[in-house]
Amino acid sequence: MLAGLAGEAEPYRQLLHELSGLLRSFYGRRCPPGLDAEDLVQETLIAVHTRRATYDTGQPFTAWAFAIARYKLIDALRRGRSHLRAPSEEADALFVPAGAEAAMAARDLERVMSALPPRTRDLIRDLKIEGLSTREAAEKYGMSESAVKVAVHRGLKSLGSKYGGIGLDED
Amino acid sequence: MKTDELIQTLSRDLPKVEPGVVARRVTMGLGLGSLASAALMLAWLGPRPDLAQAVLTPMFWIKLGYAAITGIILAVLLTRLAKPAAKPGALAGISLAPFAIVAVIATMGFIKAPPELHRDLLMGHTSMICPWRILAIGLPVLLGAVWATRSLAPTRLRFAGLAAGGCAGGIGAAIYAIACNEASAPFLAIWYTLGIVAVATIGALASPLLRWR
Repeated sequence: MLAGLAGEAEPYRQLLHELSGLLRSFYGRRCPPGLDAEDLVQETLIAVHTRRATYDTGQPFTAWAFAIARYKLIDALRRGRSHLRAPSEEADALFVPAGAEAAMAARDLERVMSALPPRTRDLIRDLKIEGLSTREAAEKYGMSESAVKVAVHRGLKSLGSKYGGIGLDED
Repeated sequence: MKTDELIQTLSRDLPKVEPGVVARRVTMGLGLGSLASAALMLAWLGPRPDLAQAVLTPMFWIKLGYAAITGIILAVLLTRLAKPAAKPGALAGISLAPFAIVAVIATMGFIKAPPELHRDLLMGHTSMICPWRILAIGLPVLLGAVWATRSLAPTRLRFAGLAAGGCAGGIGAAIYAIACNEASAPFLAIWYTLGIVAVATIGALASPLLRWR
């Protein structure tokens, strides 16, 4: 390295060549999937070259070079993480349907139910969706239990004949 | 490009490197930043009107010295942290010494003073603006420090950012000391320190700016 700082090309070339071997094994063990170890080797060689003025002549060369190698690895991981963050719109698409589907189902249900007479619609909603018992519904609307059962039965039957095989069984 | 070709290319372009590049670069960044800060201080606040008498009092020099020495110690630390495999060593501890010394001076002055003066000693008349002014005057120095550091090769960015901020805070406070006419050690120990710490915090938070390729 001292020769390199003094501008002697041949010993410097040899140094970089040896260093590239060390770096290859350094990154080979540490490089996470998705990153190219050879890219990191080259980036580190370039950094060693362009920042060679920051090498203190009293310092062990490998400690200095490997500090740069470690920095380059961390830097690449940071950038890798931001690459992963970048296509977040696609990732959002994975999560949106859950809510959207429920919303669409609710809208469909609303539309289907609107075809029924209002009283029948309320009864079906209370019994089948809100989960009231027949007696509770009967009290709520001031009807007899059997009238409630008949209305619900007819309502579901008409829905069944309209939309076919929804599979809402009575009770 | 193949790695071997890259090595060939790199070793063909090999101008001689003079020693001392790092120290010169940091000095230049801090120097330019300090000039900008001094210009800001003169245009904004101006030197204290009684400067000619103030330079004869020890308190003026204690204030200036506290801030400047803190700045200089941290500048040396920054010079180390701007290089890979930096070892801050004892310097990180030494950089706390000025704070400790001023804290001792301030405590002694506070205890010796009659209680009715305590409030004045602590709060002066500018305590609420002093840290903010130090922060504002320190920022140009911080810019210079960041510019210099990122052109070198820091590998511990957070630590380097903290040193850059602390150094800028110290130099900024030293420049502000020429404008400030407070004359109590407890005031110095609290509000100057707070200003320096504020710039240091910004330096640490700005450490992503130190990333280099």
